Amino acid sequence: MKIAVCIKRVPEMDVKFRIAPSGEGVDETGLKFDMSDFDGYAAEAALQIKEKQNGGEVTVICLGPDTVHETLRKALSMGIDRAVQLKADAVPVDAWAIAEALAAELKTGGYDLILFGRMSLDVANQSVGPMVAELLGVPCVTAVSQLDVSGGGVKARRELEGAAEMVECPLPAVVSIDEGVARPRYPSLKGIMAAKKKPLESRPAQLGAVRMTRRGSALPAEHAAGRIVGEGPGAVPELINLLHTEAKVL
Amino acid sequence: MPNVLVFAESRGGALRRAAFEALTAARSLADGGEVHALVFGAPGIGDKTAELAKFGAATVIVCEHAAFANYAPESMAATFAARVQSGGYKAALFTASAHGKDLGPRVAAKLRSPIATDVVSMKWEGESLVAEKPGYTGKVIATVVLSASPALVSVRPGTFVAAQSPAAGNVERISPASDPSADRVRVTETVVGDTAKLDLGEAPVIIAGGRGLKEAKNFSLLEDLARAFGNAAVGATRAVTDDGWRPHSDQIGQTGRLVSPDLYVAVGISGAIQHLAGMRTSRTIVAINRDKEAPIFKIADYGIIGDALEIVPALTEAVRAAKHGA
Amino acid sequence: MDGERLLWLATVVVAAGFFAFNVQKFTDYLRLGTAPEDRTNSPLARLTNFLEIGIFQKKIFRDSIAGPMHAAIFWGFCVLTAGTVEFIVRGVVPSFSFSAFLPHWLYAFYLANQDLWGVLVLGAVALALTRRLTRSVRRLQGAETHPNDPLLILSWIGALMITMFGMHAFELALDPTSPMAAAPLSLNMANALHGVSEGAARAGLEINWWLHGLLVLGFLNYLPYSKHFHVVTSLPNVYLSNTSGPGQVGVMRAMDLEAEDVEVFGAADVQQLSWKNLLDGFACTECGRCTAVCPANATGKLLSPRKIMINVRERLEEVAPVSVGGGNGNSEAVLGKRLLDDYITDEELWACTSCRACVYECPVSIDQLEVINEMRRHLVLTESRFPEVLIPTFESMESRGSPWAFDPGDRARWAEGMDIPTMAELTERGERPEVLYWVGCMGSFDERSKKTTVAFARIMQAAGVRFAILGQEEKCNGDPARRLGNEYLYQTLAKDNISMLDQYGVTTIVTACPHCFHQIGNEYPQLGGNYEVIHHSTYIESLLAAGRVPLRDGETANAVRSFTFHDSCYLGRYNDVYDAPRDTIRRALPVVRMQEMPRSRDRGFCCGAGGGRMFMEETTGTRINADRAREALATGTDAIAVACPFCMTMMRDGVAANGASTPVYDIAEVVAERLD
Repeated sequence: MKIAVCIKRVPEMDVKFRIAPSGEGVDETGLKFDMSDFDGYAAEAALQIKEKQNGGEVTVICLGPDTVHETLRKALSMGIDRAVQLKADAVPVDAWAIAEALAAELKTGGYDLILFGRMSLDVANQSVGPMVAELLGVPCVTAVSQLDVSGGGVKARRELEGAAEMVECPLPAVVSIDEGVARPRYPSLKGIMAAKKKPLESRPAQLGAVRMTRRGSALPAEHAAGRIVGEGPGAVPELINLLHTEAKVL
Repeated sequence: MPNVLVFAESRGGALRRAAFEALTAARSLADGGEVHALVFGAPGIGDKTAELAKFGAATVIVCEHAAFANYAPESMAATFAARVQSGGYKAALFTASAHGKDLGPRVAAKLRSPIATDVVSMKWEGESLVAEKPGYTGKVIATVVLSASPALVSVRPGTFVAAQSPAAGNVERISPASDPSADRVRVTETVVGDTAKLDLGEAPVIIAGGRGLKEAKNFSLLEDLARAFGNAAVGATRAVTDDGWRPHSDQIGQTGRLVSPDLYVAVGISGAIQHLAGMRTSRTIVAINRDKEAPIFKIADYGIIGDALEIVPALTEAVRAAKHGA
Repeated sequence: MDGERLLWLATVVVAAGFFAFNVQKFTDYLRLGTAPEDRTNSPLARLTNFLEIGIFQKKIFRDSIAGPMHAAIFWGFCVLTAGTVEFIVRGVVPSFSFSAFLPHWLYAFYLANQDLWGVLVLGAVALALTRRLTRSVRRLQGAETHPNDPLLILSWIGALMITMFGMHAFELALDPTSPMAAAPLSLNMANALHGVSEGAARAGLEINWWLHGLLVLGFLNYLPYSKHFHVVTSLPNVYLSNTSGPGQVGVMRAMDLEAEDVEVFGAADVQQLSWKNLLDGFACTECGRCTAVCPANATGKLLSPRKIMINVRERLEEVAPVSVGGGNGNSEAVLGKRLLDDYITDEELWACTSCRACVYECPVSIDQLEVINEMRRHLVLTESRFPEVLIPTFESMESRGSPWAFDPGDRARWAEGMDIPTMAELTERGERPEVLYWVGCMGSFDERSKKTTVAFARIMQAAGVRFAILGQEEKCNGDPARRLGNEYLYQTLAKDNISMLDQYGVTTIVTACPHCFHQIGNEYPQLGGNYEVIHHSTYIESLLAAGRVPLRDGETANAVRSFTFHDSCYLGRYNDVYDAPRDTIRRALPVVRMQEMPRSRDRGFCCGAGGGRMFMEETTGTRINADRAREALATGTDAIAVACPFCMTMMRDGVAANGASTPVYDIAEVVAERLD
């Protein structure tokens, strides 16, 4: 079975972001980058399917400038067989533009299964997967929390609000992976060494037209921590008030 | 006159709150034009249209089919896209629920339209739709411009509180654009109930308890509070799970779950680094602890000093009252 | 030469030959260990160890019951072995005697000593047998032990003594003028044999003589098949043990990750260990002192350091005949097995807190921890097999330079408003600090530890020390990764830190964290980072001793009148720092009462956080920190003092787990509270 995993390189999220001087996106200086979380689950899911079926090939595809080599190497160190960079100066915000570039690469690959993370952590638009499926004319199942690939088809579970649904579709297919399917393995040193020797393919990305752009970015209002509302049950009404009016979580 | 088409989500033969939220949000985009709602379902769903009218649907388009008892993404997407095109809508709206987030991009793909997901505010600027949406795990709000028509948007659940605004609610019945029984993607079963207990990773609100609760049985107070919120899960510290008061799967922290809910209520938790590492990115943190020196107060947005066993029941009552009042 | 003597000569030659054959085989076995190890350096330190630990039984005496018992047998053996040599030679050349080259009085003294030690050995053997048969000594239990072996050996030694006395007594009875008359017990026994006929006495001598002779040679040749081979191996093992001294002794084996074509990292089987690790296996006599002091074992975990060593020996004895040649049945099955999994499970390996109590306690200087560390390395580096809960820790260290997912930008938040410069700021101004304050991740991010961080900074400010911090440029020293077997991650972090420190020309570093202290000071030299690193206990103590810290008199604010100090393993057993933290408290609070726990100083019991355990679950047995806190609380102390941020968090949690509210302070806080 041939499996493709489409991944994205995004900043580590556990930092306080600053907005870039241009105001358009975040200031990337000093940030560490890695594979987007859900894409890591997808890569792990692909490896597990391959291991379970005792054969096949897993290819990882990443769109972006040469900085994505590091991310592709990381995927290779997990045990993925091939890595392809679709070279572009920047990754657009528009999902369709990305989907066209990916579909152009994927359509010639003869893949049985194309995996995505449920969403990228930076733009978080979760729409590239279904668009690629549309472009390739194959079925698509999104945000699966359990995945079984066998007998030429996919059986998956999707979590709903307070419920879940079981979904099936035939292969080839596009599937996007939610957390819960598989936690990405930690590369062994052996894997890291082996990844250094694997080739890395690179071709120019054939991006589609852009109809959605990012005009600006802002940080959500921050309120100072450490505020003591009061002592004992008597402080509860004031807390409720603050949760309602200030924090807006009630 | 911009017309907006709304995906009126239903499940098990009943409309979902997501439908009314999307209708409410759509009214702000209609700008004097009409808001239409498209509802899919098994035969009989058409009888529920009155509610949609109350929330502003000038036309309710009903698409019934036996196969729509379950979610049928391919046929629904084809039908919805066909209607957007035939109806000449300028925008289509979904709620970013599990189904909304699945259907939106499918429709966008068919229409070759731009789509913005999880939108918290939006407006027209000339022919462009300008929307704000969180990214970077909620730490950055991006302003995106959708410069093609129709523009598709899914709105963040809970952001646009459903409000009534009665409209005509003319019912129009249509057939599916493609036969759902021929769909490649088939939902074979909708499992209800077994996920009633919210997962820590998904729950918008988490109530977590530590050793300050004194005994395992006092966790029932936290469960009461979680029920009062309605969308909350109960978690615990490592000390508590190691002591067997709670199952290990409930542990939040470096060696347990890493969570980031909208609201985190830490009860009787001192705030050891191992715990903070797993929840400090929560959007709003409330701490209840007897020890005013407890480190948890340093990172909590709001703190109450005192006995958790007295404060939590009072909080439960207050939350229940606030929820019912709203 | 008469027939009997010829027979004896032949017996001795066969026995010695067989023993030599076994020793040769055994040295071949040791050569299977391929990890590099050089133990030819510092002969003087080796000789000192040999005498102190080997001959004078320093570690043996740490057990006040078994210690004297073992010393009696050991020293008795040393004395009696000389007699055995005389005995063996005399069996061939009857005229041979040490008296030929010893002054008469010295020979008499020697014979008397032989008697005396014979009695002591017999007594000790009797006691040891009684103890083993009638008491269940916890240290001696364990599924991995071979309980019948010591019974056999002890009885054997007893029989050796009895036949020796029998031989001497009959000899004296036959010839009252024999020099043996200098031996009082033998003489008394001879006197008791007065009425026995000469023929019977001669037969008695003959029987005892041959019995003794055969027992001696049999004993020698039984040893290689018994854990009591330790009689032969332990003294060399002590001589060849790690002599690098405080600080260096606990340093993990250096590892070259750049080496080409290495496919296997760490140790999964005995071949990947060093010959010394394998010798350790043969030096172990299953006394169980290591397991008795192991915090993991004491709290019900699967780990037993003794079992680790026994497994090394057993696996070597299984695989070596196949590898070395000589075959042993089903070689394919043997080669299909390995030390990891088939003998030692990963659960055992992950239970270790790296506290070094086992290594410190071993009477024959076995290094159990090195085997554990090498096997952890294999699990992580080669197989990527480790508790899943460690993934966030590893990933966070890699991406954020801290085991916890905190924002590196918040590292110096504790210093806001304290007017503490960063190295970058000082360098820009063209200045250099007296010392660099390495804060560490706990000290930077843990709310409780930040109080210690601030306290230490205030002390240095009060003492007029010009110091700087690294702020956002500081990264985890890598110790948790290294102890968890993730050498790759460790070296990445360490090399980053070293290049940054060298860029600033840092020479002297102070830190309040024993793990940072040990790692940067003692293990960074392996990667080319050489700095003088001083732990804050030593540093504050020296500032106080020099009168540089202005302290006020009068009552303490918190009315603490007694302290019990909990030793950090990485300060104590790793670096021999025991007095500095205690002296620091005494200098700050001259009237304070120090209440020591039963297990303190080099017997200190781990808090449970070391070896990366801080970042793992502790679900089996009781919790180490709760046990340790109970011990501290039992002293009735007003407060517990620590000198390590990890000990701080574990002890605080342990106190709470015991339902107590006794405060835990870092020694810096104790001093800072007294600042004028």
